[in-house]
Amino acid sequence: MTDSKYFTTTKKGEIFELKTELNSEKKEKKREAVKKVIASMTVGKDVSALFPDVVNCMQTDNLELKKLVYLYLMNYAKSQPDLAIMAVNTFVKDCEDPNPLIRALAVRTMGCIRVDKITEYLCEPLRKCLKDEDPYVRNTPAVCVAKLYDINAALVEDQGFLEQLKDLLSDSNPMVVANAVAALTEINETSSRPLIEMNTQTVNKLLTALNECTEWGQVFILDSLANYEPKDEREAQNICERITPRLAHANAAVVLSTVKVLMKLIDILPRDSDFIAQLIKKLAPPMVTLLSAEPEIQYVALRNINLIVQKRPDILKQEMKVFFVKYNDPIYVKMEKLDIMIRLAHQANIAQVLSELKEYATEVDVDFVRKSVRAIGRCAIKVEQSAERCVSTLLDLIQTKVNYVVQEAVVVIKDIFRKYPNKYESIISTLCENLDTLDEPEARASMIWIIGEYAERIDNADELLESFVEGFHDENTQVQLQLLTSVVKLFLKRPADTQELVQRVLSLATQDSDNPDLRDRGYIYWRLLSADPAAAKDVVLAEKPLISEETDLLEPSLLDELVCHIGSLASVYHKPPSTFVEAAVPLRKTLPKSTVGGSEEPSLIGGTSMPSTQQTTVIPSQDSLIADLLSLDLTPHPSGGNSHQPYAQSAFSSGLDDLLGLGSDGLLGDSHGASGLGGTASPPSVGFGGGVQPMVGMAGAGALPFGAPTLPMGGMGGMGGMGGGDIGGIGGLGDIFGGITPAAGSGYAAPKQIWLEAARSKGTELQGTFLRRSGQIVMDMTFTNRAMQALSGFAIQFNSNSFGLAPAQPLQVRPLPPNQSADAALPCKTDGPVQKMEPLTNLQVRIHFYSHFRFMECRNSL
Amino acid sequence: MGGMMSYFRGLFGNREMRILILGLDGAGKTTILYRLQVGEIVTTIPTIGFNVEQVTYKNLKFQVWDLGGQTSIRPYWRCYYSNTDAIIYVVDSADKDRIGISKQELVSMLEEEELKNAVLVVLANKQDIPGCLSVADVHRALGLEALRTRTFQIFKASALKGEGLDEAMEWLSNTLQQKK
Repeated sequence: MTDSKYFTTTKKGEIFELKTELNSEKKEKKREAVKKVIASMTVGKDVSALFPDVVNCMQTDNLELKKLVYLYLMNYAKSQPDLAIMAVNTFVKDCEDPNPLIRALAVRTMGCIRVDKITEYLCEPLRKCLKDEDPYVRNTPAVCVAKLYDINAALVEDQGFLEQLKDLLSDSNPMVVANAVAALTEINETSSRPLIEMNTQTVNKLLTALNECTEWGQVFILDSLANYEPKDEREAQNICERITPRLAHANAAVVLSTVKVLMKLIDILPRDSDFIAQLIKKLAPPMVTLLSAEPEIQYVALRNINLIVQKRPDILKQEMKVFFVKYNDPIYVKMEKLDIMIRLAHQANIAQVLSELKEYATEVDVDFVRKSVRAIGRCAIKVEQSAERCVSTLLDLIQTKVNYVVQEAVVVIKDIFRKYPNKYESIISTLCENLDTLDEPEARASMIWIIGEYAERIDNADELLESFVEGFHDENTQVQLQLLTSVVKLFLKRPADTQELVQRVLSLATQDSDNPDLRDRGYIYWRLLSADPAAAKDVVLAEKPLISEETDLLEPSLLDELVCHIGSLASVYHKPPSTFVEAAVPLRKTLPKSTVGGSEEPSLIGGTSMPSTQQTTVIPSQDSLIADLLSLDLTPHPSGGNSHQPYAQSAFSSGLDDLLGLGSDGLLGDSHGASGLGGTASPPSVGFGGGVQPMVGMAGAGALPFGAPTLPMGGMGGMGGMGGGDIGGIGGLGDIFGGITPAAGSGYAAPKQIWLEAARSKGTELQGTFLRRSGQIVMDMTFTNRAMQALSGFAIQFNSNSFGLAPAQPLQVRPLPPNQSADAALPCKTDGPVQKMEPLTNLQVRIHFYSHFRFMECRNSL
Repeated sequence: MGGMMSYFRGLFGNREMRILILGLDGAGKTTILYRLQVGEIVTTIPTIGFNVEQVTYKNLKFQVWDLGGQTSIRPYWRCYYSNTDAIIYVVDSADKDRIGISKQELVSMLEEEELKNAVLVVLANKQDIPGCLSVADVHRALGLEALRTRTFQIFKASALKGEGLDEAMEWLSNTLQQKK
């Protein structure tokens, strides 16, 4: 014998002892042994080596022993996937056991064994148990199917388990129905396509089961009802009526799920109907009740209420008092309550709210106090009638001289000045008294803004600003920028005595600073001032747009999505689930009938044709500034039929221009007649000046080509569909010129695609396509504003691309109020700068626009 | 073991004999097990794993393990070898194609140290099917003549008709009792 025996034998130790005991003939001893194994397992010892021995104990009529063995199997089947197969036969037998407990136990355990190798053997017993006579047994495999789906979706579909699950929806036992619903919902969420459509019938069955099952079951059923879209108002109303009693349930989850379903259904029902009024009355009390639960539940309820209040402020408008902060509330509850208080504040209750807020501002918790002070400011902005009172309250607070209160107050007073110009300037002197105590950047910046804004009324404004300028380089960027602007304002208002100051600041900003933002702004001011002081005045002292009341509202599209997730983690985070759960398919739920947002039917009639003016590539418009790159990545559609016929490059000698034009004209004339798109006269205008310019067909979405000059023509084809051979090139070109596929009788235009999603661009959605109109390539776009503020000052810029494509005239889009959309047609020319892109059809476009508050950032590829 | 001990054990007859039923898939192992236990034909499905039943024959208790014969399961037979008193090796006499594989499995099994002292019963099953191999053919095909030290016997059997099983059990119980 070699020394290897020392490594192979384990004739000693605990495992070996257990092994012997497991193989003992005495049942008593066997059971004890299995218990010991389980005990070791639970404390974390690895007893997977005993797998075969434990499995051998599986066939026993002792239920206790069987349960223990099953427990072991669930734990170790994964680590011994090959040996797990030895347990299959026992499962099969147990699923036919006369004892329903054993049948259910077997199915449940099978579902928990996530070993790919044995799943196929489990189908048969699973199928049997799905049809079991005992509801307790039917219950289990429903969940099991969902688990199996996770392991092997194809298997579940092939074996027809989904149909069986659907049958369970009409089961006589409510618990079975609830479990089937839970399983189906889960399967639906992980699957790429909806597998199970609900209909009126199933919904009725669910509603019947709803009243009889456990609270968990009720939550499952309600959640699945939330995904159902009723056919008509009557059905929606019926569902509402039948689930409304759930609002009185003791379980918070049931209540929230019910609220969720109702919130969704309200959208479908006709506005202003009596029914809605009734429903809204019923919605408030359960939410108020939730606020008397433990703080944790209160918090969850408040986060959800926050959404509900944003969506439908009328529900809780009478309930202001319950959101008043109690002294013993945990801080996280206090903060949430404060948020909701502001949202609910209106003229009728503002007095109450203000006196509460004033109280809060004297509390000890710094964060809470700050938020309270801000809340007072927000009230002032929101309820005009209360502004006076708010300001005096803030002044009182400033008198307390508590440092952080003062700073917070200065910040909000700045906003109040913005909202109500020339009204409360009398308090500026009080503010100035506290200048020295301000040490936070935001407060300092606010104060500087106030000084600059009202420089003409503050006698010593120059001295005050000068005191800030002393320590210019030690200030935060925010303060520096503000200081720069304010000094320029001061100069424009009182040019006589501040010239020296402004020069100092400008040189500080431009020469001594390494912050690019600061430098840029400095240079702009400098040039403005030196070139045209009048213009500088117009720019710097321009009328400011009004600030909106609620700055922290969620974007409507996000809000709609979150309302669909009431009662889940998403509603607590206020983030869509896709951002924190890794799902196979990001599932976006939205409200059934969007009440916001304009329609987005692809309209091809968009803009009127405008005179084509020669322009540089960048077309600035109005006061827009920087946005970000929107890269339009026009990848050819796979089925687009790019024939990739290699062009005979040499064939296109300089004389061929005419030939090409003629060829295309002829083709167009022949095949399409006067389809309105022909543009027979125009092809030469599309950038054919340069002589040898083979064309590149480019497919936007199928067959939407436009011509472009240039060159390395290796394998780029014209559009498919036209014949090959010698005239293939010309044929392709004809196609390009025409911009239509031969198959299409009239002009073909690819439907608009979403180039930019609202969620990725702070609320601006852009859909677009390319088409040809009167021989000119036109970029047809629909802008939809899903943000809170109006957008204006649209401008567009194309990066160099393979086709030399560039806008032929400025983008003309009217200012866009929230939730509206506008069409724009941008004629393009093809003599812009050319640069070969990788891939060739990549097109980067930058779109600028300006909203009242911020410059938008759009970044996308399409 | 002293003679005294085995005498008492024999007297009370409480020690269960451990028997394995092995063989290729579809040889009829599960049918034989239940034929022995309940005396009836039960419909079986391929055994993915094992069955274990207690069989009493002439006051002797046997713990009979019927292991699945699929290729994927055969490697795990070895987990069941220890403490085995007897092996019933079932051969499908009508499956002439796979008798060679059956032989290989038998030979490699008998080489196992843990089965050194196990008694072997070979059942040439499915004798009811016309044109099947005779007992002598099976004997030859399995190379049983090469077995020198092993206590073994071959029986012709038909689990369906219940033939041959009694004889085999009779022989087996006698042999096992004598061995003690």
